[in-house]
Order: sequence, then structure tokens, then C-alpha cells
Amino acid sequence: MLSALIWLPVIGALAITLLPQSQSKKGAIIVASAILILDVLLLKQFDTNLAAFQLSENLPWLENIGLNYSLGVDGLSLPLVALNGLLTWLIICFCENQIKERFKLFQVLMLLIHAGVSGAMLSTNTLLFVLFYELVLIPLYLIIAVWGGLQRSYAAMKFLIFTAVSGILILAGFLALGWLTANPTPIFDYSTLQTLSLPLEVQITLLVVLLLGFSIKAPFVPFHSWLPDTYVESATPTVMMLGGIVAKLGTYGLFRFCVGLFPDAWALLAPYIAIWAGLGVLYGAMVAISQKDIKRMVAYSSIGHMSYILLAAAAATPLSLIGGIGQMVSHGLVLALLFYLVGVIEEKVGTRDLDLLNGLLNPLRGLPTTSALLILGGMASAGIPGLVGFIAEFLVFQGTFTKFPIPTIFSIIGTGLTAVYFVILLNRTCFGKLDNATAYYPKVSGLEQLPALILTGLIIFLGVQPVWLVKWSEKATVKIAEQSESKLLVSQVLNESLTSPLIKN
Amino acid sequence: MTATLVPPTTQLPPSNHPYADVIHRLEAGGSMLPDTPENLMQIIGLYKAYAVPMDFYWRDLLYIAEQVFLEPLPAFKYFLPQEYLDLRNHYAGDDADWRFWRGEATAHPELLEFMSKGELNTKIPKLFHHLYHDRINMEFAEECMRAMFWHRNMGGELEPYMDSEEYRQNADRAIRAYFKNNPIMLGLYKLFPELFLEQCRQSTMTSVLGLFWEIMAPVFFEMSDVYDEGGFKGVPDAMNFLVSGIFAIAGRPIYHRVNIRGEWFEIVPKSKGFTWLYEAAFPYVEAVFYRTSPFRGTKSYNAQANEVPKDQNDFHYGILYADKFPVGSAGIPPTLLHQDMYHFLPQYLVDYYKQFCRGEDDTLIQLGVSFQRSMYNVTSAVIQAGRAAFLYPLDDPNPKHLLANRHYFEGQLNRFCNPKYEMDKAARIGMVQDQNYR
Amino acid sequence: MKWIRLRELAWFKIKTIVNYANYAQTQEITMTTIVDIAVNNEGFSTLVTAVSAASLVEALQSPGPFTVFAPNDAAFAKLPPGTITTLVQNIPQLARILTYHVVAGKYKKEDLIGVKSLISLEGSQIDLDISEEGFEANNATVIAADIEADNGVIHVIDTVMLMRPHWFYPIMESGKVGV
Repeated sequence: MLSALIWLPVIGALAITLLPQSQSKKGAIIVASAILILDVLLLKQFDTNLAAFQLSENLPWLENIGLNYSLGVDGLSLPLVALNGLLTWLIICFCENQIKERFKLFQVLMLLIHAGVSGAMLSTNTLLFVLFYELVLIPLYLIIAVWGGLQRSYAAMKFLIFTAVSGILILAGFLALGWLTANPTPIFDYSTLQTLSLPLEVQITLLVVLLLGFSIKAPFVPFHSWLPDTYVESATPTVMMLGGIVAKLGTYGLFRFCVGLFPDAWALLAPYIAIWAGLGVLYGAMVAISQKDIKRMVAYSSIGHMSYILLAAAAATPLSLIGGIGQMVSHGLVLALLFYLVGVIEEKVGTRDLDLLNGLLNPLRGLPTTSALLILGGMASAGIPGLVGFIAEFLVFQGTFTKFPIPTIFSIIGTGLTAVYFVILLNRTCFGKLDNATAYYPKVSGLEQLPALILTGLIIFLGVQPVWLVKWSEKATVKIAEQSESKLLVSQVLNESLTSPLIKN
Repeated sequence: MTATLVPPTTQLPPSNHPYADVIHRLEAGGSMLPDTPENLMQIIGLYKAYAVPMDFYWRDLLYIAEQVFLEPLPAFKYFLPQEYLDLRNHYAGDDADWRFWRGEATAHPELLEFMSKGELNTKIPKLFHHLYHDRINMEFAEECMRAMFWHRNMGGELEPYMDSEEYRQNADRAIRAYFKNNPIMLGLYKLFPELFLEQCRQSTMTSVLGLFWEIMAPVFFEMSDVYDEGGFKGVPDAMNFLVSGIFAIAGRPIYHRVNIRGEWFEIVPKSKGFTWLYEAAFPYVEAVFYRTSPFRGTKSYNAQANEVPKDQNDFHYGILYADKFPVGSAGIPPTLLHQDMYHFLPQYLVDYYKQFCRGEDDTLIQLGVSFQRSMYNVTSAVIQAGRAAFLYPLDDPNPKHLLANRHYFEGQLNRFCNPKYEMDKAARIGMVQDQNYR
Repeated sequence: MKWIRLRELAWFKIKTIVNYANYAQTQEITMTTIVDIAVNNEGFSTLVTAVSAASLVEALQSPGPFTVFAPNDAAFAKLPPGTITTLVQNIPQLARILTYHVVAGKYKKEDLIGVKSLISLEGSQIDLDISEEGFEANNATVIAADIEADNGVIHVIDTVMLMRPHWFYPIMESGKVGV
């Protein structure tokens, strides 16, 4: 089942290359729908009572260097895999008119990215993770560079460099981890690594390396400078994929490998990480307020919202971890919705400038449905109750407040500031009067509105019935949190001695 | 803006006005609206679409003024009785005082059909049509009446008369007769006589508007018929038809009488000599075309914000200044009128609108823009009629007279060039010169 | 018998002379009122019809004095069709238009030099412009001035005057001054 999730898109992509241009869309829709169905089956098969990896597959591959093909899904990766499937399906089925040419190539690249992300999330071998992580890079670089705005080649190159550095750092960290825990072959198997323990100094070093790598990917301030350019210059479906799920590789890595593998070091660094997260939220919000380009504004809002996940990870309580995973899904849905709507507005109106946009809620001549969904999307991002953004943020704040009250307060202020810039956006874009001289915009067809409606429907549904969001992750997060607690106690006891008895082997 | 410059036709040098082209066109006997076949089609189509609901408006306004009068809870004031549907329009039909329209004097057949079937196109009891709001939007007519009532001081003799002692006596008699055998209302009248008097004045304005529109409906119907026959060569022809109509009807009496239990009470008698031109037409054009009031939600009513003018003369929210794009949004009054007109558009306009902008989806706005053009034409007719009545013929040989004409035209157009409150940006006279303004 | 008939003849003659004297006297009072001039001269038939329809004859025969700006038939003919019909159907409205052409007091052309406006019997003002080029009242030109009657003076005009509404003056001012 899990292998199917990875290889079906790859085989599908290859098959599509053989199809003629006119049939390629049908082929892609079939593949994406099959993946979505598989995701639903996966959700059904998943047992929410188990904390360990389920549906595991293990194929020995390169045993002597420790690289094995081992897959498994647990409460942390399942929601993200489902999100991946949903976003890919929406992009392939409905985002045709945003891509003006070479559509077949686009489908192929998108499916490859999907496969890479799925593979990274499903692998329980750290080297396999890095392999899939790097696999995502080239298709993504191509997708950004071929379709997009005027500065896309610059943005794509910047993205490539930053992400490649991030990949190198992560690879270095895993290799070092593998060699340092070798007995005698390096250990890259996740479950095994979880049971081992390293001296605190080593842990801290490795943690910092991995943290750096994942912080560039997520991104967290101050490693975020590739994000605004890349998001703004990419075409709408690309940025939906990027912001919706590819960025989550960074936060997934954070939860899985940083918190999961180095609980002691993490506990030590947590207070500083929490403050870092709080400041990141504030920074993202404040820069977003000053933007004049609506796509750039949403991009900066993305940076702010990712820092909530960092905060949740820092606290590492069961509640905050659930909140963090919820925020990953919520942020993915909301960001995809916002970027899609901004893309529709740009296409129909012709501009993204806040000073020029006005009056789009006009029922007959404006874009009323698009504007209405933009309002809902803004509300969701700002954490209004009833929508999924509130669920995720509330869980994060509940989980982190007892441990790190000050950073939590920063983040709550950041939520308030989110409302500020979204009100600015909505006030200027949706309300007001249309300019009589220029407001002759084409209609938004039903098919163009469908992805936004589906995403909004999910946002409302999960906001009203959050159990469907959190029930998958409860057991897994409890396990991670427990580990962190117990390791914390052990490390406190052994704080004076810098070596662990296990290392003597 | 105009594609070609319109040269002056009189012996005067070219005008220096920002709208010099329009001035020259007016001096040549034309309208503020450029003379194109498309413009002619749009305005005549909208005159016809406006005249059918107007047929209902004037009948119902007279019903409200004459029969409903001071009813405290007039729940059924829009349920027009058969008697008023059969009320003979004085300016159509065989027994007309002056026959404008070749058609019948009773309610227009299209109106009757709509009243029975509505937009739903089914025959259901009138009450259900009314509750579903599938009817002629009489609220618009009352809004026009309220605009005329609130913007007092627009000239004419009716204004001071409504404040006079004679009016008070007439009103007193009518109020007492209306509320005979009703001690509660009579008691309230003793306590608050000014309240009842003001309601009576409002009723008078209702009658004035009803009498005004009684003329306009057959005039518009006749214009539509003449156009269908090909009788109009261009927009100036249509405008001149209106000008002669204005003169023909200028002396029509304006009055207010109330029917109380079969007896007619004169509140504003015909013998006072109030005329259609001075007491109805000029105030109507001033109040409804130029002034009205800002649509709720589009202007800040906060006095410190200074968005709404302090002086009523500076109000600039009428059809000539209106932004047509918000039509269809809540709280924008012309939406009601446009929905009414939408039901009675001639087929040639329905086909025409399908070709532009969003086709059927924004027909409401497209017809709104055409309506704005047609009202610019009516205003041009009023301006030209004013010139003919108070100033000199267009071909007058005396240059002093021609200069006076020019001052008049420029003064009229200066109302669209006032920078206060951004009136000059709001005025749509520049935009209607462009055929692509839809 | 002859003596009685002579007395009767003398009485008859005296009566005739007295009657004739009476007749001559009454002829003098009605002979030159404003109405008489209108009735007895060419080109005022429409005006006379209008005045009688509006029941203003007696008023215009009263001592006054009045200054009347009298539109001739050509002036009425310039009005678009239907205007007169509607007015004639509605006497109070017709009376209003007609009384607008009458000013209380006797003003000959020389009396009006330098006078900007007069207030008519209707209540609205009539704007005057007297210069070498001519004598104008509102938009009408006086084609024959100073026709004297016993109860006033008539100035014949070539256009029917209509009351200028209060908004007319600011509009003209604005047009003269510019934007």
C-alpha cells in the first residue's frame, strides 16, 4: 500500500510522457484520482489506537551502508500524506488555465514531486528520507523556472541553492548520526535510532545541524529569504504545492527527527527555540502588514504561521504536538486556498497591487464568490473559531502556554497581527467600489471556483469537527512527548557525566 | 471622451469650457449624449422599459395620495385596486386632454401581464407575489417622492404654499374628516398637529409625483412606437420630441385631492394655478436627477468626515452622477428600478446586451448604463426647453443673444465640473461620450 | 292737437340728445382701455381669446394703471403645439402665465431706462434690458413700445414670456464667470 503511494505517481508520470499532449490531462487525472482513493483507503486502514509505525514495508537494499527501503506510516505522517494527495489532485484536475503551455511536462513534474514528498514522509530510514528529500528538488526547480512570473529564473536558482544547502546539512547530520551510533554498520533505521542515546554534547551538535537544515526548508526566520521571491514568482499551482506540502517537509523533519531523535538536547534548547519561534511569528506578521503585493503578503503570512509549528515542537507536550501537526495540515489547506484565490484575482483583474485592486465583492461585475472565499480564507488564517485555523492555533497555545508563556504570548499577538493584515487585504481588495474605467473583468467559471470551494469546505468541516483532524495523531504524539519527558529526567540525572553507559559498547 | 472634436456651428468663437464639444453640440440643437444609432437604440429601449413600471408608479402614487392618505399602517398600499388600473390617463386614449400616445388610456397590457404572473411566470395569488417581492418595486417611486420632499426649496409656488395658513386649513379639514369616529387618532392629532400636517405634505408630494409621471409614461410609450416605425433620425430627434412634449404639457395643473368616504377634499386645489413645469418637472429633475441622497454604505454619514455636503444644493447623488457598477448590491436604490426595467426590456436590447461584458449575467448593469444615457438625454431636453422658454432660439441672428445662450449652456454644464466633494469626478457626462462605457 | 305733438316731439328730441350724450360719455370710458386696444388692433386675437378665457377682461379694464407686455399672434404661434391647448383647458394656470405679463403701474420706455427688473402681478420678476440696440424684457424683444391707453401702457413683444425659475440666475452667473 505505501509503496503504491510512492511508485504509482512515478509510473503514472512515465506513462504520461508517452501519451500525446491531448490525452495527457486525462491520464494525469486518472493517476491523481487513483492516488486520492489510495489515500482514503489508507485513512480507513489506519488504526488510530496504535502509536508505532503501521503498514510497514522493509526491503533490504544497500545493507552495507545501511540504506534500506523501509516505509511506515504513523500519526505524524498520515495527515500530511493525505494532504499531499488532496493538493496534488486539486492541482492536476483544476489548475489547467494557470499553466499556459507544456502542460504534459507540468503534470509529469507535479507527479514526481508528489512521489518525492510521499516517499520522504513515509520512509522510516533516515538515508531514504534524504534520498526522497533531494529527489523533490530538481522537478521543483524546473517547475518554478518554467512557469511563473518575470523573475522566476532568479527565484528558482535561489530556491535551489537554499534547499540544496538544507539537503546537505540534513545529509551530514544523518550520516554523522549513523556513524556515531554504528555497531559496526551505521544505523539509519529510525526505530533503532529512537532507542539509542548519545552524549549530550554530540546530541546538541547533531541537533543544531539538522535543525538548521530543516529551518531552511520550512522556512523559519532568518533563513526565510528564499521564500517571498519563490512564492511570488511561481505560478499558482506551484506555490499551492510548495506552501501547502513541500514546506511541511521541514516541519515534519523537525517533529520526526529533531524532537523524536534528540529529546534531551531538544529539551535543553527548547526555551531558546521557543523564543525564536515567537519572534518569528511577530516578524512574519509585521512584514506582511507592510506589503503592497497581495501574493507577497500571503507569502509572509506563511512564514509567520510556520513558526507556530516551531513553537509547538519546542514545548513538546502531547497537546502542543497535536496542535503542531494540526497546524501543518491547517496551514497547508489555508495557504493553498489563499494562493489559489490570489491567482484567480491576478488572472481576471490583471494586477496584484493593493493600491489598484478595489471592489471585488460587487455581485454582478466583480468576483463575488472568489472574494467571499478570500474572506473565509483570511478568517481561517487569523484563527477565527469555526474554521480549522482556530483549532490548530488553540491547541498549540494551550499546549505551550504552561511551558513557555512569553513566546506563547508573542504568538498570540502574532495572531492578532494576522487579523490586521488580512483586514487590510480584504478591505482594499474586496470592499470599496470598482473603477468604472477598467472594471470589465471576465467571469470566474464554476470549474475555476471548484478547488476553492472544496478547500473551503474542508476548512469549515475540520473547524467544526476537529476530531477528524486530530484523531490520527493522538497516540503518536503522546509517544513522542513521553519519550521527551522520560529522556529529560534521565538526562537531568546524568547531566554531570557527559557520557552515557550505552556508548561504552 | 469624444473621438472627434465637435466644431461650433454658431458665429461665436469656440468655447473654452472643459466640455466644449458638448457645448457646441447643444448649441447646434443636439443633446449632451452623442448622436449615434447605438445611443438612440439604447435610450429608446430604456424609455420603453421605464414607461411600463412608470405606468404602475403613477397610478399607485395617486392611489396612495388620494385614497390611502394618512392610513397609519398602510400594509396594502401597493395593492392597486382595479379602479386605479382603469383610471384613464389624461394624455393617452381617445378622450385625452392632449393625446401623446396613440395607445389606450388604461393600464398597459405588459404591465397587467407582469402583475398577474410576475418573474416566476406562474399565476399565484397576488399576496404571494407581493410577499416574495415578485412585483413592481414601488419602493423606488416612494424613494423619488421622498427625495423631492426632503430637498425642499427647489423653486415653484407649491413650496411656500405648503407652509401657508390656507394649506393648513385645507389639511385640517381633510384630516378631521379622514379620522372621523376615530378618537385615538384625533387625540393624537390634537397632541401632535405638526406630525399629521407633515404627513399630509408628504401625501401632497406623492400626488405631485404621480401627476408628473402620468405625463411621462405616454410620452415614453409614444417615443418607443415612433422609433419602432423608424420615425427618429437620431438622438436630437428624440430629444426634440421630449422638448415639444415639455412645452405642450407645461401648463398641466398640479393639485392634491383626497377621497374620504366618497367625498373629494381639495388640499391643493387646481385653482391655485400650480403648473406641471414649475411645480413638478423642475423640482423632479433637480431632486432626482441631480441630488437625491447618498446610498447607505457608500458614503460616511459622519459629519466630521465631511463626505456628505452640508448644503443641500451640493448633493450630487442623482442618476447623472451615479456609479452604475454597484447596482445589484444591497442598499443601492436604483437596483429596484433596474430590476423593474429588466422585466420589460425590448427584445432588441436583450440581444444587444448578450454581446457585451458578461452577457446575461450583468444585463442589470448594462441596462443601468443605458438608462443613465437616456436620463442625460431627458436632462438635455429639459435644458433645451429651458433655453427655448427663457432665452433665445438657436438660430438667433443677434450675437448678444447667442452669447446668453452659451452662458446658459456653460452654466448648466458647470454643475458637472465642480471640484467640491469630487463632484466633477462623479459626474458621468464624460463617460457617456464614450460608446465603450457599458 | 298739434301743440301736444310738438311737445312729444321736443321730449323725444331731448331724450335722444340725452341718450346720445350718455352714449358719448360711456364711449369715452370704454374707448381706450388696454383691452380695447387689443381688441381693435390687428395681431392680438390670440391674446384677446386667452384673456377672455382666463376671465381677466374686467381686471384689465379697471383703472389700474398697468403696464402690459403684450405678446402678438406671431409670439403665440412660436409656442410648440399643445401648449396653448393645455393652458386653455386649465384656466388658473393660464391666468398665471397671463398675469406674468402685467406690471402694476404705468411705465413707459423712458421710465424704464436703467431699471433692471420689475415685479409682475404674478409675483415673479421680469428682467429688463434697454439699450440702443433695443428694448428687451426677459427673452422677448419689444417691437412696439409705449402704446398708451387710459388705464396704462402697452409694449408689444414678439415672444411669450415664461417665469424664470430661481435657479436660472445662478446658472447664468456661473456660465458668465466660468468653471
